[in-house]
Amino acid sequence: MIQQGKFGIHEAVSLVTIIIVTKVFFTSPALLIQFTGTANWYATLISAGTALFGFTFIYLLLKDYPGRNLIEIFEIVLGRYIGFIFSGIFSLWFIFIAAAFLREFAEVLRVYVLPLSPLSFIIGMFVFGTTILSFMGLESIVRFAKLSSPVIFIGYISVQFLSWENYEFHRIFPIYGYGIKTTLLHGIARSSAYGEAVILAVFAGSLQGVQHIKKAGYAAIFISGLLISSALLSFTLVFPYTTAQEITSLMYQMTRLIDYGRFVQRLDPIFFFIWNIGTFIAITALFYTGVNIYCHMFRIQDIKPVLIPSNIVLFAAAMIPKDMPIIIMGYVQGTRQYGWIIYFLMPLIVLIISRLRKKKIKKGAVQV
Amino acid sequence: MDYILPYAVNCIDNIQVKEEKNKKRGCAGMNKAFITAVIFLVISASLTGCYDSREIEELAYVMTIGIDKGVTDKLRLTVQFSTMSGPTAAAGGGMGGGGGNGGSQDGGEQDGYTAITMDVPSFFTGIDMINTIVPRKLNFMHTKALVFSEEMAREGIGDYIAPIVRYREIRRTIHVIVCKGSAADFIKENKPFIGTTLSKTMEIMMEGPYDTGFFPHVTLYDIYNNMKSTYRQPVAILGTVNDFKSFKEEGPPWGSGFKTGGDYYAGELPRKGGNKLELFGCAVFNGDKMVGELSGHETRIMMIGRGEFTKGTFTIKDPKKPDLIVPIEVYQEIKPKIKIRFEKDKPVIHLRVFLEGEILAVQSRINYETVGLKPLLEKSLERHIKSELDRLIQKGKDMNIDLLEFGRTAVSHFDTIQEWERFNWLRQFEKAEIYTDVEFALRRTGGLIKSSPIMTREGKK
Repeated sequence: MIQQGKFGIHEAVSLVTIIIVTKVFFTSPALLIQFTGTANWYATLISAGTALFGFTFIYLLLKDYPGRNLIEIFEIVLGRYIGFIFSGIFSLWFIFIAAAFLREFAEVLRVYVLPLSPLSFIIGMFVFGTTILSFMGLESIVRFAKLSSPVIFIGYISVQFLSWENYEFHRIFPIYGYGIKTTLLHGIARSSAYGEAVILAVFAGSLQGVQHIKKAGYAAIFISGLLISSALLSFTLVFPYTTAQEITSLMYQMTRLIDYGRFVQRLDPIFFFIWNIGTFIAITALFYTGVNIYCHMFRIQDIKPVLIPSNIVLFAAAMIPKDMPIIIMGYVQGTRQYGWIIYFLMPLIVLIISRLRKKKIKKGAVQV
Repeated sequence: MDYILPYAVNCIDNIQVKEEKNKKRGCAGMNKAFITAVIFLVISASLTGCYDSREIEELAYVMTIGIDKGVTDKLRLTVQFSTMSGPTAAAGGGMGGGGGNGGSQDGGEQDGYTAITMDVPSFFTGIDMINTIVPRKLNFMHTKALVFSEEMAREGIGDYIAPIVRYREIRRTIHVIVCKGSAADFIKENKPFIGTTLSKTMEIMMEGPYDTGFFPHVTLYDIYNNMKSTYRQPVAILGTVNDFKSFKEEGPPWGSGFKTGGDYYAGELPRKGGNKLELFGCAVFNGDKMVGELSGHETRIMMIGRGEFTKGTFTIKDPKKPDLIVPIEVYQEIKPKIKIRFEKDKPVIHLRVFLEGEILAVQSRINYETVGLKPLLEKSLERHIKSELDRLIQKGKDMNIDLLEFGRTAVSHFDTIQEWERFNWLRQFEKAEIYTDVEFALRRTGGLIKSSPIMTREGKK
């Protein structure tokens, strides 16, 4: 078993919240506005609510197998082979979303900040950073997340607060967006935006028991829901739904609009700071989770020898997509729309099988 | 790259600790010196400068962009930028202007600034073409204004605004001006006035709406959003070059009547001297096409109706002596209250405007400062603003433009975007029945609390 080190609820909440909330800096909000219009800011609360419900399955599963992590439970419940497939899907998924996230970050960075830098340079420098942090281990990633979280939080809130001058309340209407049914459907389907809370179940051994995982998971999803909703509400108040869905990075564009006279303007650096640090933590954590699951699958005791090759895979995977539209409309949209299958449906299937088997064993015991 | 340095330090500490552990475990420890060397090599290489960094002296910072209809190609693009040579060196230094293939040439030096005009097929190709003749790379990070000629605006600016909005260097906080005549000529007259910095001149000029209300504060963000909005339609700052022909040197003296001070369109202010550039009133758009214009006074009234007015001086007739005037500084502390109901598909709108003010002068020396006479002045201004509001609303209805942006309130009556878009407020507005009401309170009387008569040999005057 890989030694991951221990961490507490605060660290866990910080890590998961950063991973979830960082999505708001990229193209996801524009896509959500495209589908739900002015209802986007509460559609995400529906997503968060659904994710809380989905996380309950994971918690119940962990509760049934105290001291075990999700990957071990897969093997216990489904057997070595099917459990291996389930774990493999999880591992590939995390590496895939880390790569997609990295490419999305690099593309947006290139659009707004580094238009002349080759993509390989941007991704390469980033992967270099993820390699170092991965080498330092999960405990370092988590502690760094906790250390950065107040700074990211202050920056995040400041941008929204300073955008006050551009808020126009009427933009919140029509209040039901494209209709309640559409909002509900998209809200539920996009629960995967909060699915990364499942990381806590993967690293269950590093937290102090199931109750801590439960608290951390619920708190992270709840806080992320509020933070994402507040950001989306800000976007809705600053941009009419007709133009909000066009913008690559709404948060960046909103920051560029802050203009309080000649002295308080051009606050893009605040955005870059929270953007870079947040994304760096998120990608490293997602990638590390994927590699960690891989090591579990193949009973590899030391993760370090796997990290450099895996980082090369991360680099290569991030370079694969042909262009930005494929990233946005294919990868990002696809993962948001169908990610719930991986995050919540798979653990639910395992939970059902586990409960049925336990019931059967119990029944058999009674019969005997 | 900001995060790499702290990481490197942490990493080295970590390596030391882990190496100890590795030694204890008997594992092959990593070569600390090698790792350290690699980390520092990469960091020092990356810290020497960003991959695509550009030094300040390699760039030409564009202050103003002008777009006219072209003669030898689709567009006539004008860019005005600093020569970085300072006003004193301007005559001999600077970059000068240049001409392009088929383009007009205008290298007029303007006290440390220059403008280049060129006929180009598109905005971006135009930048590339101009870059070939400027020994710097044009940079738009500090651009202050985007100027369209009226001719261009009347044909539609949507096709030209879209690429500009997409361009990462141009901030959406730049101001959008529609100028009468050519944008190239307008930019040529855009010179530093009071002081030597054009950027400061422009920034302070653009703050005008907060002091006078004679032209609106319109940015690229406003015009682009409103062009695509289902709630309202855009306006732009109206500007022109005043050739001082409106100023009549001689003629019969003006009688006892007076103008409000804002009853002019850009370029008509009767003046001579000062900056030739004039921003006054606004251009009204339907989508991306200019369909009309408002005078300075109408613009103020529009801003009052919208709740965007900060302060400005209104001159009204003295209620007791109509041949004399009372200038009042009016400010808007409370946003207007708008109530809308629908009678079938017809919107019925009630607009209630609240204004406050301060007496600046009383020519007649009648004591309007007293509690008894104050309401007389208040009612007089209320009537004036109300009649102007009604006139403006009618002008808007004639153009079928919701100048006071009632759509912002009307939208709250619709549950879904489909219903709202099906209703099509921008079209239905012409059916609207609008009632206005103005409340004005004189809060202060300036530096005097009473107007005493002038004493002459004949007695009190």
